[in-house]
Amino acid sequence: MTARTLIPRIFSYQLTGHPWSARADKLQSATGLMLASFLVFHLHFESSILLGKEVFFHLVQILEGGLFTDDGRGVSAFTQIFSVFMLLIVVLHAAMALRRFPSQLGQWRALRGHLVCVKHKDTQAWFWQLATGFILFFLVPAHLFTMILHPEIGPNLSAARVVQDNFWLLYALLLPAVVIHGLIGLYRVAVKWGLVSNRSVLRKVIKLLIIYLILLGCASLLAYVVIGLDLPSQVSPYISKI
Amino acid sequence: MNQQTTSMSPENASGRLLNFHIFRYDPQQKGDKPRTEVYQLRETPGMTIFIALNQIRQQQDPSLQFDFVCRAGICGSCAMVINGLPTLACRTLTSKFKQGDITLMPLPGFELIGDLSVDTGKFMRELAERLKLWLHPHHHEIDVHSIEAPMAPEQAAALYELERCVECGVCVSACATKQMRETFVGAVGMMKIARFELDSRDGRTAEDFYHVIGNQDGVFGCMTLLGCQDNCPKDLPHMQQIAYLRRKMAATIL
Ligand code: SF4
Ligand code: FES
Repeated sequence: MTARTLIPRIFSYQLTGHPWSARADKLQSATGLMLASFLVFHLHFESSILLGKEVFFHLVQILEGGLFTDDGRGVSAFTQIFSVFMLLIVVLHAAMALRRFPSQLGQWRALRGHLVCVKHKDTQAWFWQLATGFILFFLVPAHLFTMILHPEIGPNLSAARVVQDNFWLLYALLLPAVVIHGLIGLYRVAVKWGLVSNRSVLRKVIKLLIIYLILLGCASLLAYVVIGLDLPSQVSPYISKI
Repeated sequence: MNQQTTSMSPENASGRLLNFHIFRYDPQQKGDKPRTEVYQLRETPGMTIFIALNQIRQQQDPSLQFDFVCRAGICGSCAMVINGLPTLACRTLTSKFKQGDITLMPLPGFELIGDLSVDTGKFMRELAERLKLWLHPHHHEIDVHSIEAPMAPEQAAALYELERCVECGVCVSACATKQMRETFVGAVGMMKIARFELDSRDGRTAEDFYHVIGNQDGVFGCMTLLGCQDNCPKDLPHMQQIAYLRRKMAATIL
């Protein structure tokens, strides 16, 4: 802090307020909030496979805009457009969050030293967020590009993706990382902007939600694996019985 | 305290044996290397880390360096990291540690004077100069005949709440953001800004404060890890105040 303190304000944006600092912080929280809320819906929608192929099939039709087509069938181009939109949000969120990322070796060393020296739960939670954020940096684009290139979603087609194309590996890694990152993020947004004052209750709620969402996601993934193992090697789309 | 315990003296006492693992390093001494030294001491009733350190210095090692003034949690000079928690040594009872092993480290993030003693004063002074942590009145001309504007009791109470900061530096050491980013102002700086922001006698506007803390080294660099709030020995409301400042600062910019 020493020498830089002496630089008069006008010469250094680092010492004066910068309008983009506020914007970046707001954008990071807003995009994070959007992504985390989307995640919660996403995990629930895909878990509809647990209620049977029929339920999942119809839900997908509705979500792909089936309400607006003549035959009630969804269009998978909608998934593509939505995936591109999510990718943009993810890129924006990552760009804003990169400000936080320890960029120099010295910072990593300081962080490690700090984590070893001072025992503090919220700091450790942040560290997990940092680690999972790093993982998501690679996994989320992989997931989204798949959805952009092969947007077909359906009981059979999704199961084939999971089993025959070996996407179970991606999902098994993505699930815990994204749930942990997103929910700790929700907690942080809430305390950061002063939306919640009772932290201990919030912490418990978040912990329960993390466990619940991971279990839900695992159960769905398992359901796809079970379906996928039963499929013939030439997979045809699911035909609705209603 | 009952008769039996008061008559106990350290030498013949039946108190348990405490092991103090103390960080030792004197930067002034050429060739000195950082190391941990272990001192053993018998626990006495009501013993604080402050009392224990004084006994060690008196009876075992006069070269041991540490700071204290008030021994009552008022001056803020005795802060150190005790078993992983930065806090005031004079307000920490040894009985809190069931294992009997106590590790003492100097506060990280400050200039080390020697052993457990760090220079928080220099840091606080630089911070005050950088953030201009003093009252900036509305008018600069002083008119001794004008009557001072009254302050609502609620505001005075709120100000007093924030004035309780003893500048111990615990919140700076407990903050991973501050440890990674040397230029970050840290919780104590923001708490003090919040204090002047609240003060009706201070003429600075939200934009003025934005110039000082509206950046990555200020309120927007804070990652809300809340080590400050969870470790502050005076239980100051960091979380609430920093969130307030953040909302206030964010609202000045669209
Ligand atoms: S805010 Fe609390 S922890 Fe920080 S310097 Fe003041 S009293 Fe110490
Ligand atoms: S000696 Fe003054 S606060 Fe501990």
